[in-house]
Amino acid sequence: MTIHPRTHLATHPVAEMYADEYKAGKLSRREFMTRSTALGVSAAAAYSLIGLAPSTAQAQMATPPMGGSLRIQMEVRALKDPRTFDWSQMANVSRGILEYLVESRADGSFNGVLLESWEANEDASQYILRVRPGITFNNGDPFTAEDVAANFIGWCDSTVEGNSMAARMGALVDPDTGVAREGAIEVIDDMTVQITYPASDITLVAGIADYPAAVQHRDLIGTNPLDHGIGTGAYRVTDYEVGVSARLEKNTDHTYWGEAYLDEIVFIDLGQDPAAWFAGAEAGEFDMTYETVGEFVDLFSAIGWTQSEVVTAATVVIRPNQNNAPYDDVRVRRAIALAVDPQVCLDLGINGQGVTAENHHVAPIHPEYAELPPITVDKEAAAALLAEAGQSDFVFEITSIDDDYRRNTTDAVAAQLRDAGFNVERTVIPGSTFWNDWTTYSFSSTNWNHRELGVIILNLAYRSGVAWNESGFANAEFDALLDQANGIADADARREIMARLQSIMQEEGVTLQPYWRSLFRHYRDGVINADMHPKFEINVHYLGVAA
Amino acid sequence: MEPLTWSGALGAFLNPLMLAAVAVFILGFFANLALTLAGQRAGEIVVNPDNTLTEIKTPVDYALNAMRYAVLLFVVCCLGYIIGGIALPTLEAKGIIGAMAARLTPVWIALVVTFALSITFKRRLGLYGKLFDSPIGMIGFGLVMFWIFSSVFAGMVATHGPIDVISQMRNEVPGSPLPTGEDGLYPYYLLGGDNLGRDVFSRMIFGGQEVLKITPVATLFAFMVGITLGLPAGYFGGKLDTLLTFIANLALAFPVILLFFLLVTPEIVAAGVPQYMSMVLFIFPILFFAVLFNSRFSIQPMKRNILLALVLSIGGIGYMSLISDASDPDLPLIFRLWPEWLDLFDIQGNILIVFVSVVFVNSPTVFRIVRGLVLDIKTRDYVAASTTRGEGPWYIMLWEILPNARGPLIVDFCLRIGYTTILLGTLGFFGLGVSPESPDWGSTINEGRRLLTIYPHPALPPALALMSLVLGLNLLADGLREESLKD
Amino acid sequence: MGQFILRRAGVMLLTALCLTFVVFFLTNLFPNLEKLAKTQGNARMTDAEVVSWLDRNGYGGPMIVRYGEWLGVAPGWTREDPETGRITGRCIDQGMDPAEAPRFCGLLQGDLGYSTVSDAEVSEIIGGRLQLTLILMAWAFGVMVPAALIIGVLAGMREGSRTDRSLSTLAIASTATPEYVSGVIFIVLLASSTAGLSPILAEWGWIDSRTLFLGSARSAMEEGVTFWNFTLPVMTIALYGMGYIARMTRASMAEVMTAQYIRTARLKGQSFRNIVLKHALRNALIAPFTVIMLQFPWLLTGVVIVETLFNYNGFGWTLVQAASNNDIELLLACSIVAVFVVLVTQLISDIGYVFLNPRIRLA
Repeated sequence: MTIHPRTHLATHPVAEMYADEYKAGKLSRREFMTRSTALGVSAAAAYSLIGLAPSTAQAQMATPPMGGSLRIQMEVRALKDPRTFDWSQMANVSRGILEYLVESRADGSFNGVLLESWEANEDASQYILRVRPGITFNNGDPFTAEDVAANFIGWCDSTVEGNSMAARMGALVDPDTGVAREGAIEVIDDMTVQITYPASDITLVAGIADYPAAVQHRDLIGTNPLDHGIGTGAYRVTDYEVGVSARLEKNTDHTYWGEAYLDEIVFIDLGQDPAAWFAGAEAGEFDMTYETVGEFVDLFSAIGWTQSEVVTAATVVIRPNQNNAPYDDVRVRRAIALAVDPQVCLDLGINGQGVTAENHHVAPIHPEYAELPPITVDKEAAAALLAEAGQSDFVFEITSIDDDYRRNTTDAVAAQLRDAGFNVERTVIPGSTFWNDWTTYSFSSTNWNHRELGVIILNLAYRSGVAWNESGFANAEFDALLDQANGIADADARREIMARLQSIMQEEGVTLQPYWRSLFRHYRDGVINADMHPKFEINVHYLGVAA
Repeated sequence: MEPLTWSGALGAFLNPLMLAAVAVFILGFFANLALTLAGQRAGEIVVNPDNTLTEIKTPVDYALNAMRYAVLLFVVCCLGYIIGGIALPTLEAKGIIGAMAARLTPVWIALVVTFALSITFKRRLGLYGKLFDSPIGMIGFGLVMFWIFSSVFAGMVATHGPIDVISQMRNEVPGSPLPTGEDGLYPYYLLGGDNLGRDVFSRMIFGGQEVLKITPVATLFAFMVGITLGLPAGYFGGKLDTLLTFIANLALAFPVILLFFLLVTPEIVAAGVPQYMSMVLFIFPILFFAVLFNSRFSIQPMKRNILLALVLSIGGIGYMSLISDASDPDLPLIFRLWPEWLDLFDIQGNILIVFVSVVFVNSPTVFRIVRGLVLDIKTRDYVAASTTRGEGPWYIMLWEILPNARGPLIVDFCLRIGYTTILLGTLGFFGLGVSPESPDWGSTINEGRRLLTIYPHPALPPALALMSLVLGLNLLADGLREESLKD
Repeated sequence: MGQFILRRAGVMLLTALCLTFVVFFLTNLFPNLEKLAKTQGNARMTDAEVVSWLDRNGYGGPMIVRYGEWLGVAPGWTREDPETGRITGRCIDQGMDPAEAPRFCGLLQGDLGYSTVSDAEVSEIIGGRLQLTLILMAWAFGVMVPAALIIGVLAGMREGSRTDRSLSTLAIASTATPEYVSGVIFIVLLASSTAGLSPILAEWGWIDSRTLFLGSARSAMEEGVTFWNFTLPVMTIALYGMGYIARMTRASMAEVMTAQYIRTARLKGQSFRNIVLKHALRNALIAPFTVIMLQFPWLLTGVVIVETLFNYNGFGWTLVQAASNNDIELLLACSIVAVFVVLVTQLISDIGYVFLNPRIRLA
């Protein structure tokens, strides 16, 4: 094992290689930042590798004045064990108490929060995590390597129902016992933890930056933060009414390790209807949206709010579930894919605010994206394929949530299928009940958030039998290739396998995935550091309002 | 192609006239108001000593006359648009209003024929004929018939299909032309496109069809249930009355909205609750007709038997087809026994739920009305007379009391259709409606409401349509009530 | 009178029992419980696991017993875990010693249960929300009833006159405009900064804020009711209910105006104004009173629509949330309140009718 000596601008041999690629124009800056910071290179060092001064290149955050109160429009959902969080909204509230080891920034870089730094060995199979010194929990206990290790063990516990962190931990989980592998997580000293994978894995940092990876006190793994309120963050929850509002207040009894500016943050739940959000904005009920969608982007701008946009790999999939007939027949799935033009979905679904995608759920902004031949849309061929499968009379029931863009996109799919001669019925389920069985509907739409790497998404959603595999896709070849891809640190090398993975997705007609969304957020003048994040993260510690 | 203007070629001429009419009306109204407040009274007719009449005119009369003529002028302008719309050659000249009027030609013809025939023969048409003595009733009837005819001729009136999508036409304003390359279709979206690029005008017309398919039938069922239970309750009184009234009050005390939410919950649907309810509710029409014929023809066994057999077999098959659906494996076994080849039609799950809830909500009120009427009528002499004649109780109820209670019942029927339309819209508003893409008015209002502040055009037509239909029904009911009271 | 009220109250109690049982039955059907088990426990339970989860959590017994427990007339269930020996039960809150827990805990003891979705006691949730709705209802009634009575009386005092015709048509039009139509139109016209009147008025400098009224009543919940945030919801509710009451008042007024004693008063040479105010009004208001009281249950639907439309987290909104989230105990509590409101208003309307009408005397 080689540990590179940590100097201020420590780098990594692979990162240096990426830097060359960037300079040669083979990598975008965003991809370069994602890849190199994932290997433990600090954002500043990464910028210096490509010859940019961090202060000019990085979206520099302003320092807001102390004090003030901010109201954010966001759904307030019942909190639970953070490992089982299924909504970034939950984490946005809990982030006031429970912080993360690492956070991902809007520019694609990873930034240490509770970790001061991390390093990977050359084949990315072993990571050294260094804890930031001087952090205490609000009950007075110091934050140490023990806490980090305890959280890792908790995340690896795939026996906990709904623990989506287990999928993110990948090979750290022993497939036989369902818990962390012996010796995978080692506490080296008070401030250092060593993570060892059986093979190389590059998704670790991205995984622990994701919203279910909130760090709990070592004795409180698996509990609801709302019940105990113990964490490292600068805030405490004073009110929490599901569906109505949540209120965070600066915890004056606790010495926070960093800076926190606002005295109070209120999350206001105005339901799922963007029209209601807009009405609330016009009525001056909040200062910042969680997300602005569709036509409302222009509307919010029209009333003078500041717009913040980020291009992401956030998307909507309209997937048949292969555990249901006739979707177990690949011809039917192919026919569906042939009949739907992504451009129409983009126009009708999200007002053209995004770019078209190719039904394989790997985005061009992902570093390992492989360019495939453009997909074809051929309604006659679709009808012929459907007839061949003997399902011309089958009534396709497409389910969606009752909201704006997801419903419209699904309606657009339904209309196009009808055009191609499919027999289609639509079902719309209210937002509150939709998610109760979102993985089991026979044909339905789901929105997926942005992830930093293509393999992360494929691991989460398309590997056989994982918790969020909503398409019921189970393919041994796909799983094997995915394992292989997970172990390749070099994105170019990974791309070859990705090309195969992506084309399996298309050939099997696993899902319709018509577009990548640009995400928008609006805030009033005077709100500071509220820019849109590709994964909807709101870090309450950074926010501020101009005096 | 250029988008259509609202008023087309006639606009240059008719628009100023219409504006003038509106202006005169408003002026007249305020003048009238001011004069009345100032103590002026309308003129009176005075009998002169030489037995001639003189009408004394005051400024109030002039103001009123001005208003009257303004209304007349306005109506003439509207007619001008309609006739112009039909007569003018090109769509561009017709304008949006004219083009809509032209599409509605079959409706106008049907309306003119109906009114002409009805007014000609109104003395021979009983209560219906008397409706044409009341201007309010005529307006109401006209509105209702307009929607009925436009639903009947929906296929001819609508320019596009209710769920046909042209993605480029999304949220386009009224009068927008279709993109080039869409040959063989009507070249404009008359009232614009909705958020999925569907034609608002066609959806409004088909939405009316959807609404008028469900509401009158549902109301009729509610009446059958209410009448079948209300007659004996009022006539026999006693324990039966107490029990039925208690049950009706029970159903009335059940909050409508809670019932809807409970009934549409997927779990409750899966348990077959709406099916069981329909099993109970839909037996009443059969019961009603069976008793009706039985009591009438009990002295002619042959005729009675034939009629009963007809009612029971047609009703029975219809009933079983209605409640069973052998092809749905999720239903409880009892609804899957009826063989598929005898199952004439399956009602889509959602429609059945809407239907059942609407019938369930309406029938207790009908029950109360019928019971009240029976309590009143049964003291009349002709009832006593038929009792002495030795008629059976059911004969008296169905053939003596019921026909004499028809006036208030018809009035209530009209009102109740309107109310049912509103209920159906409420269901659509909460996303519990007929089906997600259904063009029914409640659902379209709910969809359009999201983007209302930028694009009011998809939500307003169905909202105004719903208002006008309900208003028409209410006015019709008012007219009928007034005329039936004149007896 | 006393006996009459007693009897009515008895019937009311029986009705309440029946209705709550119906709601209890509908919300406790097996598919609902199965869904509850899966959302509370885990989503991929087998059928056997669902049954054992339900058993463990007190949903196992016969429906009627559970209804009794919920009412508080049957002792709450208790269960000893065979492995750990821990005793759990309906009446044993977390951290409570099983020995100290009460035997009964249901509606009668004031325990409405626990809301699974909101993660809080039902009684806490319902209390706060109900208060918000009461404020809304009070304002709506305060606007609707006087306006409707004035319109009705004005129309009914000279039947067939022009005033009558126009006011009656107005009343009919208002009953033909349900809340979801009028609310939507009001928002566009008065509370949108891009359409309707507000941009024009703002341009002329007549209003300082961006919109004339607020299209969302949420600020009324925390900062109190103001003219700006409450006008539209109140108008929306009041408009639809107003027409009906106005028409009833008109009919009743018109009938009274043709009565003998009014004719007598006229012949005596009393002024028209005196006749209307002193003689006709009292008798004309008996029928509308009953109607007004019976209007409460109808308002409930209106309140649900308006609270959804204007984002006011009151009782109606809670009902929608509970129903769509399969929050069984919360939904039951909501239905209790709804049924209670309906029955109490019926009772008041009956008593009021008897009280106001001099012709009815009860022994």
